[in-house]
Amino acid sequence: MSGHDHEGEILRYRTRQRIVHAVMASSFLILLITGLALVWGPLAFIAAGGWSRYLHRIAAVGFISVPFLYILLDRAGAREVLVESFQYDHDDVVWFKKMYRYALGRTSDMPPQGRLNAGQKLHHSAVIIFSAVIVATGIVLWGFKSSLSPTMLAWTAMIHDLSMLALTLLLVGHVFFTYVYKAWSSMATGYVPEDEMKLEHGKWVEELEHQVATGSES
Amino acid sequence: MASAFLLDMTRCIGCEACVLACKAGNELPVEMQYIELIERTSGTFPNLVGGFENHRCYHCTDAACVAVCPTGALFKEDGLTRLDRDACSGCGYCVQACPYGVPKMVGGRSSKCDACASNVGAGGSPWCVTTCPAQALQFGDREKILAEAKSRVAALKDRYPKVQVYGETQAGGLGLVLVLPDDPETLDIPADPPLVPVTVDVWKHIVQPVSMGATALAAVGAGVLGVIARRNHLAELKELEEQEKAGVAAGGSESTEEER
Repeated sequence: MSGHDHEGEILRYRTRQRIVHAVMASSFLILLITGLALVWGPLAFIAAGGWSRYLHRIAAVGFISVPFLYILLDRAGAREVLVESFQYDHDDVVWFKKMYRYALGRTSDMPPQGRLNAGQKLHHSAVIIFSAVIVATGIVLWGFKSSLSPTMLAWTAMIHDLSMLALTLLLVGHVFFTYVYKAWSSMATGYVPEDEMKLEHGKWVEELEHQVATGSES
Repeated sequence: MASAFLLDMTRCIGCEACVLACKAGNELPVEMQYIELIERTSGTFPNLVGGFENHRCYHCTDAACVAVCPTGALFKEDGLTRLDRDACSGCGYCVQACPYGVPKMVGGRSSKCDACASNVGAGGSPWCVTTCPAQALQFGDREKILAEAKSRVAALKDRYPKVQVYGETQAGGLGLVLVLPDDPETLDIPADPPLVPVTVDVWKHIVQPVSMGATALAAVGAGVLGVIARRNHLAELKELEEQEKAGVAAGGSESTEEER
């Protein structure tokens, strides 16, 4: 439901969705820093004595819990993100072809987009896939390290590191688009300006208006 | 110039003087120990042969621990494997990788013999060598140590038919050259320790630096591009706002196309 106390704004993320996002973001950043400390000399002092490795594991539990937390707090939202992130339509294909324009901050001749634009769908699906890989290899490194041969250890650590590279690059893109499209409020307050949504997520705004007109719940 | 230890197991009497000298000289805390004497028995009853394994770092030239160490805390110097504990992040990969099972985690960091870097750097000898009462230990130029080991083997052939030099070729050549009275397996020492897997090299020397570089590059690129793109987007929003104002006045039209 869009809140009408927010004049000219629409609700994009419910409080519970923002909580899930905050848990994921904070655990990811802790994992990134404490993980980097294990592979990068200048940061190794953080890991001295091994305490950062415990922090890495605590944050890992937080990160692993994200999908379960999402289902627990907001089942509809969790289903939505999973379904929508892997569904592309013709407008999305056209969107990808013009993506460089979107990356340069120009939205005016992009094809109309749903709640998630094509780039966000790709971002979500990539995050889901690489998160699954990093969790799987992470569990192996956590609990089964001593039963790995040096070759298998190197492979597991390498896949773990490369997944983190992918996720970190995705994070850079995520922060980039948040900055360019002033999207901070969507995760801070949950509300976003309606006129900007018409420009960037036209089909979604239409859908919401249709729901309001027919009186159906979102 | 590569240095090396000579460890003559035909002379070692298992007195553990080296163990104590190492601990005392290096002022190691209670839980740390670089040398361990392990009793080994080989053969079948009643023909048993007893011996000691003087378990300590073998200072491999192609050291697996150095290859896996992500922070460079383990490194090679003068043919010896040194450990800078301050740089150790405690990942424990060296414990996993060492074919001899030498490094241990103590207080969250790796712990192993560093060939008394401070003594040797000051022109002295490692504590274990200066203490050994049985002349089982020597330290010096690796070529001379190898020659000494071979001459000892030649002299011992009659007494120990299987006597041999261990460490001339293993793991790229060891910085701990052993004179063994029997086959290495009798002391639970692998005759041919596995080589450092190629994967480890790829992971450490390609994947890690490329990942760091790619992330740094992406962050800088996104920063620069972000400033430009945000300016474009704000200009676009302003244009839209003006159009809307004009549209309200003139009766309304949708945003115009912007071609390039």
